[in-house]
Amino acid sequence: MSFDFSLVIDSIPKMLMGLGLTLQLMALSAILGTALAVVLLLMRISRRWYLVWPSVTYIYIFRGTPILVQIFIIYYGLPQFEVIRESIFWPILREPFGCAVLALSLNTGAYVSEILRGGILGVDKGLGEAAAALGLSVRQRFIHITTPIAVRLAIPAYSNDIVSLMKSTALASTITLLDMMGIARTIVAETFAPYEVFISLAVIYIIMTFFIQKAFGRFERHMSRYLKREN
Amino acid sequence: MKLFNAIRRTTLGVAAVAALTFGAAAQAETLRVGMECTYAPFNFKNADGSLDGYDVDVAKGVAEILGADLEFVCQKWDGMVPALLANKFDLVIASMSITDSRLEKMDFSAPYRISVGRLVGKKSDNMSLFDDTGAPVAANFEGLKIGMGRATTYASWFEAKLPGANVVYYDSSEAMYLDLVNGRTDMIMTNPMKAYLKFLSKDDGAGFEFVSPQIDETDFFGVGVGIGLRKGNEELRERLNTAVLELTKNGSLETYALKYFPFAIHNEGWEG
Repeated sequence: MSFDFSLVIDSIPKMLMGLGLTLQLMALSAILGTALAVVLLLMRISRRWYLVWPSVTYIYIFRGTPILVQIFIIYYGLPQFEVIRESIFWPILREPFGCAVLALSLNTGAYVSEILRGGILGVDKGLGEAAAALGLSVRQRFIHITTPIAVRLAIPAYSNDIVSLMKSTALASTITLLDMMGIARTIVAETFAPYEVFISLAVIYIIMTFFIQKAFGRFERHMSRYLKREN
Repeated sequence: MKLFNAIRRTTLGVAAVAALTFGAAAQAETLRVGMECTYAPFNFKNADGSLDGYDVDVAKGVAEILGADLEFVCQKWDGMVPALLANKFDLVIASMSITDSRLEKMDFSAPYRISVGRLVGKKSDNMSLFDDTGAPVAANFEGLKIGMGRATTYASWFEAKLPGANVVYYDSSEAMYLDLVNGRTDMIMTNPMKAYLKFLSKDDGAGFEFVSPQIDETDFFGVGVGIGLRKGNEELRERLNTAVLELTKNGSLETYALKYFPFAIHNEGWEG
């Protein structure tokens, strides 16, 4: 078994042609997923059973099933129903890109919602009580006291989830999208050289992970600037 | 030493008898034909154990023209070429495509079946995608999404002939047909025989049909399927070619194909 470096040199530029699609999938799903997560979180902590229950059920289902299964159900399952194919959502669901973004958003929304809840539970109760004593309303306390601290506490776990989302975009290649993984699979099918091609792809993903972690590290430092620096 | 001599004498005797037997057989000529016997509808066993299929019919047709007796040998696909080279049979009539890498090890007769691609799309759409000479009209492919297998000959054909076309690649034919039925793609390009057996002849494929002629450019799809034989049998190869040509001309190949498909699967214009 020899390692063909010329194949690595050839295939990396080809795979990078899918970088745009990978980033689009990641960014769109991260934004939509986080928005969904906030809604789910507010429902979850609302203490009204008719809001809590749907939220808990949703999170349970989407965290409890593999993302690949969710992608397949949305991509192959939904069009089986005539209703869906005639609905206004069909232009989005017809495209594999729409299906992939939908599946990734729904999935990541469930995880991020729990991460944010963890952040809120981590906020010192005393702070809320002090704010209440100063006469802040429930809404003011949530927006100005709880949220900034909860966000800071949630950043490390959130950055983990974004890295995991970035890697999940590779699953979009199973529904015909030519993201970096899709291009890599095509090259492998042409050259029968999975070793060289997939290792090159892995290196690209690792470099992307490095930059995501750096960015979140900066964000975390920014959000923690009110804290006393240790050493 | 005595024992050794005795064994040697016996072996020589057996060899002599064998030589005589094979010599006699050569007079009547028995052609041993290798095939999988499990590759319907080309070569397969009926419920009663008899062999049937397009390849089997071709073998019988060729044997009749050559005046030879037939003996079928069932052989697994991955051992087909080694078994031919090891003289377990004389001919391979097993839907084996003629390729450059195979031609390094063995010879082939003229093709008795073509390798082609064909587009499958919705019945109602009258799209005039091809002109009278059978060449694709690029402008009429605009706005159409076409599905095909990843890294297949069909993909290379599209890349060369219609580089601007919107193509999507599939890893399984089930997914490809599902997207065609669901309207995610407008048409697919595939092997017409498979398309007919797996899709068009089934309920799912009721609203669909072939929307292109057979595309048989050998640069992309290869020459087709031929009768394989060991190298160095020029005389036999010539006779096989004559037989295949006769089967083409007298309409036998078409008759064989129409048993399983609503269209012919050989090169109708072949002149030898």
